[in-house]
Amino acid sequence: MDKPLLSLTDVNKYFDDSHILKDISLDIHDGEFLTLLGPSGCGKTTMLRCIAGLESINSGDILLNGSSIKDLPPNKRNVNTVFQNYALFPHLNIYDNVAYGPRIKKSMNEADLKVRINEILELVQMTGYEERMTHQLSGGQRQRIAIARALINEPDILLLDEPLGALDLKLRRYMQTELASLQKQTKTTFVYVTHDQEEALNMSDRIVVLNKGVIQQVGSPREVYNNPSNLFVADFIGDRNIKKVKVIEKNGDYVRVMLKDNIIDIKCSTNATTKDCSDDYAILAIHTDKMSISCSEKPNSLMGTIISVHYSGSQIRSQVDLGGEKVAVIEYRSNDCDYKKGDKVYITWEESGAILLPMEEGFKERSGGYEEV
Amino acid sequence: MKTQSYKLRTFYLSLFFVMLYVPILSVVLYSFNKNPSTAQWTGFTLDWYRELFSDRIILESFKVSMIVAILTSIFSAILGTASAIIAIYVTKKMEKAINGLMLLPLLVPEVALGVSLLLFFSSMRLPFGYMTLVLSHSLFCVPYVYIMVQLRLKEIDNSIIEAAKDLGAARWQIIKTIILPLVFPSIITSSLLSLAMSLDDVVISTYMSGPTSTTLPVHVFSMMRVGVTPKVNALCTLILLGTFFIIGISEVFSKKNSKKEEEEVD
Amino acid sequence: MKKFKQNAPAIPILVWFGILVGIPLIFVVILSFLSRDELGNIVVRFTLDNYKRIFDPIYIKVFINSLFLATLTSFITMIIGYPVAYFTANLEKKKKALAILLIMLPFWISSLLRTYGWIILLGNTGLVNNLLIGFNIIDKPLSMMYKFSTILTGTAYMLIPFMIIAIYNSVDKLDRSLLEASYDLGAGKWKTFFKITLPLTIPGIAGGFTLVFIPSLGLFFISDLLGGGKNIFLGNLINSLITKGRNKPLAAAFSVGMIIMVLIVLFIYSRLVKRNTGGADENSII
Repeated sequence: MDKPLLSLTDVNKYFDDSHILKDISLDIHDGEFLTLLGPSGCGKTTMLRCIAGLESINSGDILLNGSSIKDLPPNKRNVNTVFQNYALFPHLNIYDNVAYGPRIKKSMNEADLKVRINEILELVQMTGYEERMTHQLSGGQRQRIAIARALINEPDILLLDEPLGALDLKLRRYMQTELASLQKQTKTTFVYVTHDQEEALNMSDRIVVLNKGVIQQVGSPREVYNNPSNLFVADFIGDRNIKKVKVIEKNGDYVRVMLKDNIIDIKCSTNATTKDCSDDYAILAIHTDKMSISCSEKPNSLMGTIISVHYSGSQIRSQVDLGGEKVAVIEYRSNDCDYKKGDKVYITWEESGAILLPMEEGFKERSGGYEEV
Repeated sequence: MKTQSYKLRTFYLSLFFVMLYVPILSVVLYSFNKNPSTAQWTGFTLDWYRELFSDRIILESFKVSMIVAILTSIFSAILGTASAIIAIYVTKKMEKAINGLMLLPLLVPEVALGVSLLLFFSSMRLPFGYMTLVLSHSLFCVPYVYIMVQLRLKEIDNSIIEAAKDLGAARWQIIKTIILPLVFPSIITSSLLSLAMSLDDVVISTYMSGPTSTTLPVHVFSMMRVGVTPKVNALCTLILLGTFFIIGISEVFSKKNSKKEEEEVD
Repeated sequence: MKKFKQNAPAIPILVWFGILVGIPLIFVVILSFLSRDELGNIVVRFTLDNYKRIFDPIYIKVFINSLFLATLTSFITMIIGYPVAYFTANLEKKKKALAILLIMLPFWISSLLRTYGWIILLGNTGLVNNLLIGFNIIDKPLSMMYKFSTILTGTAYMLIPFMIIAIYNSVDKLDRSLLEASYDLGAGKWKTFFKITLPLTIPGIAGGFTLVFIPSLGLFFISDLLGGGKNIFLGNLINSLITKGRNKPLAAAFSVGMIIMVLIVLFIYSRLVKRNTGGADENSII
């Protein structure tokens, strides 16, 4: 097992009285695309800034290639940041913006620098823009220059603070692919911050899910999507129906539970941070778009009545009443029957789309899809 | 109802601006009067202007004023800018202290300031002349540079400074490559303002002038108290032209910069 | 210790101001308590005589005159200037910029020129009299120079741009929707002005007042040129005590008196602003 490129060990960060980062420990591996994902205020940007050196930490350590950098100022760390608002220098043209880092550090002569800049601009597809000024560029273009300006320094880690936040949807999707391929091309370690889980799932090798300054789960996109470690992750990633179920007994690899009058077998999450699903009650979490509606009875299914059916674009969104409990189902084509309001139906699901989690304190039920009051 | 208030507004403002500029224009007007007295207009002439250029004392005091103004302007630009930049890096309390100190010379009436400097400098046996003039002029010019540069500094997005740090720049490098270029327009406009204020100063210069170095305004002041020839008018008109010239440069400069910021594309 | 390191670069600035402003002022205060001999030399002997003399009938009159002049100037500039500021703030963008330029322009123009213009206008053989006699409105020239009103005119003329800009900043920042709400609730234009606009622009007025009042105390060249050289104001008095009277300690005492008046005005200003805006917006004029 290689030594990690960057290690955070028991990092704590306070802003006045607020405890922003709580005992954070994390290893980041060379060459990976790691995303810090979480809702606003979870501490992901703070963590990024601590790695960059733009914030200091109150306790713990940060090790880069084995040596501590926690006391180094940002200009002494071999780490570069792509800022959320790009932070391009308004008084310098594009060429001078990109050349800034190497010139400050006097790392190469002007002739070599010119070659390097040409390469980098080609990489981000901004060749020919050298003479332009920042204000003459669009948002997407500025973003690419910000990346070029950071990458040219060949940092050990590139930190990206929600770089796609200001772009429109189409451009954002495009840039996601671009960034991911850029990362693979340059083999640079990316640490990416976002609150958009779709983005995280699309681009990352590993995702760190954060909430209120505490790491909830670290895993591949598939892991956090299919095998959440706790309720927060299950709820945050994807769109799930979340219900309280009564645990009946263990059934091989599965756990037999009861939801209303339905008895079904669900696997318990292997990443559950607390005990396994052996309490009286457990939490059932099913992705709304991994469920299927059938008119004929099926094994291991939930029986219910259709409350409403909406067609929106490519989706069929339905609400089903399971005898008092509502669930939302999103299908992309109706499988075996044309169901309508009032029909009695049976809901099944893909195995990987449903998970059982240990019961947690303060649990509140919710169904996915539409927000219930 | 709408047109009535519009008429009132236009009337009042027009009347005001007329009243504001009539005194100035009458000075200019009478500089061309053949008659040394304003009692009558006897014809157009440039004689008074010609007289000016042969008046050695006036030329000498003009030279003094220009040298003092330029030195004051440069000195104030450096000190004011340095203070504004230092103010970013010190503690909040210290920043407030600096702000207060900067305001102090502007709050004390010039007479009191002039008198106290006079007493101070003479007790120090300092020779009165260029040095005392530049030092005392900078007292009321530095605050203007400070305020204007500080205003521009506060507009700079903090993330740009962080980006520079991130890219490897140490503090002095950030100041040299990022901060100074960005506040440069403000430094120029406030320097020009200092130039104009120094050239115009009467009160403090009265006390700070030396036996061989009187500034132009001090000389003009004594001319006004004594003589009544339109030579004074001619001199004032020339000073006016000079002022317009300085303002013109300042406006062109600030227009050029605000134009740059308007070329946003998105 | 860390704080000291952080504040160290500020030391030269503090030293500079300390020496150039602080020490002279301390000097003046000390001097005001000293005496002089017949030749005008300073004698280091503590005395309160200088301050006692402020209350001499001649001198107290000067103080009162100066306060009177400053107060009147402030009021006149406020009354004339408020509409200018108000109307300008309501102009459309291009006209507004032009108006502001025209208002500020005199500030750059030589103050001697601006004062001399009034001599040209108001003298016995000045422009105004020439026009009035020329159009047969009067027979003999009006005597308009060397009066209190002449000095008042000159001072107000000199300082009105400050008042206008201070009020303008306040009016410009006004939330227009507040006025619209007032109209919506049934108040007419005048009522809205007195109940909404005026109270909300008091910080601007207070700022303008301060910016006009303080210099009014010290512009002695105006009272000199337009007042005929009579020493009826504090600025002239101090000036002549230094240059002609050879009484430095007395001049020092009067200067201290002037500074105290300024401090009182500033104190009133800061209390007014704090009360009106709850402490916020301290730097609204500067």
